Amino acid sequence: MARHKQIQTEQQEDPEMNISSMIDCCFLLLIYFLVATSLVSEKKLDISIPASAQSASSQKPPVDPGRIVLQADGSATWNGDMTVADPYNPEAEPGTSEYRSQRELEQLVEQLKNYKDLASSVQAEPVVMLTGAPSAPHQRIVDIMAALAEAGIKSVGISTADTGSD
Amino acid sequence: MAKKNSRPNDDVNGNVNLSPMIDCCFLLLIFFVVNATQITVAKDPSVKMPSAVSCSDLKDANGCIVVNVFSDTDKMAPKALEKYSKDYPPGSLWGVADANGRSIGYNTGQVQELTDFIKKQKETFKGKGLEDGKIRLYLRGDMAAPWERSSTAIRCAAAAGVTNIVFGTLPSK
Repeated sequence: MARHKQIQTEQQEDPEMNISSMIDCCFLLLIYFLVATSLVSEKKLDISIPASAQSASSQKPPVDPGRIVLQADGSATWNGDMTVADPYNPEAEPGTSEYRSQRELEQLVEQLKNYKDLASSVQAEPVVMLTGAPSAPHQRIVDIMAALAEAGIKSVGISTADTGSD
Repeated sequence: MAKKNSRPNDDVNGNVNLSPMIDCCFLLLIFFVVNATQITVAKDPSVKMPSAVSCSDLKDANGCIVVNVFSDTDKMAPKALEKYSKDYPPGSLWGVADANGRSIGYNTGQVQELTDFIKKQKETFKGKGLEDGKIRLYLRGDMAAPWERSSTAIRCAAAAGVTNIVFGTLPSK
């Protein structure tokens, strides 16, 4: 009976855990991640270069690869004859309609989607060859890559106009 | 005696309930941990990133070999130029960071060195158990950089056996 009473008094005492060190650690981690985090995160555009093993095959592909030629001024043509991008204007202000049309390249996206449908109809992988002038701005290449990504084409052969293909 | 009675009251009022603060603190901590892991590639402020309409989030930076492609110095913003001059030797067209975070610049005469660097990075990732398909070239090209420089970096990656290319961009406004 005496023993039972003793246990009851021990249980009635509030067990207190010292959490101050945990709070310290928590604050340190919070400050670290607060400083290390960048909220404006970079995005990505994926492409895959056709590997040499694939290109070594002597079989002719069921559909010819689409060809985009980028000029030094930023204008681009599709399959040699159709202009699909106007000359690049680096002065275009973000938010304006000119800036949007410079980035979106609707004509090119349409052509690429048609080409992808054509390739899908014969169960072939759509491959696009992109030839750029050496002095063409990198931003224009990214615009074309974005158009390719929007059309769902990931396999892109890349070359520069005067040095030959990669 | 009256003094003795006031002591227990003082003890009761002295306790601050910390649990809501700890709750908030944990919520913030989880938020920042999740955001911090989204991007772990080194960002060089000397490069002014291009923008793209159809871009996606970089969910896993593991296996990314980051190569910065610089524009001409006369096209760089003053702050970017200051950082570039501090970190890289004059005439550097491509910039990378080694395992210790040290910046290395390569010029037109050091294309083979750039290829060797990519090859070495690839071997390092392979040593960590990454498959070939997961090892990618993360190309951080300046929006004003000539295509020749970006294509040379891609050619170096192809020569080193890296055929997956990721173009670093910012979302279009």
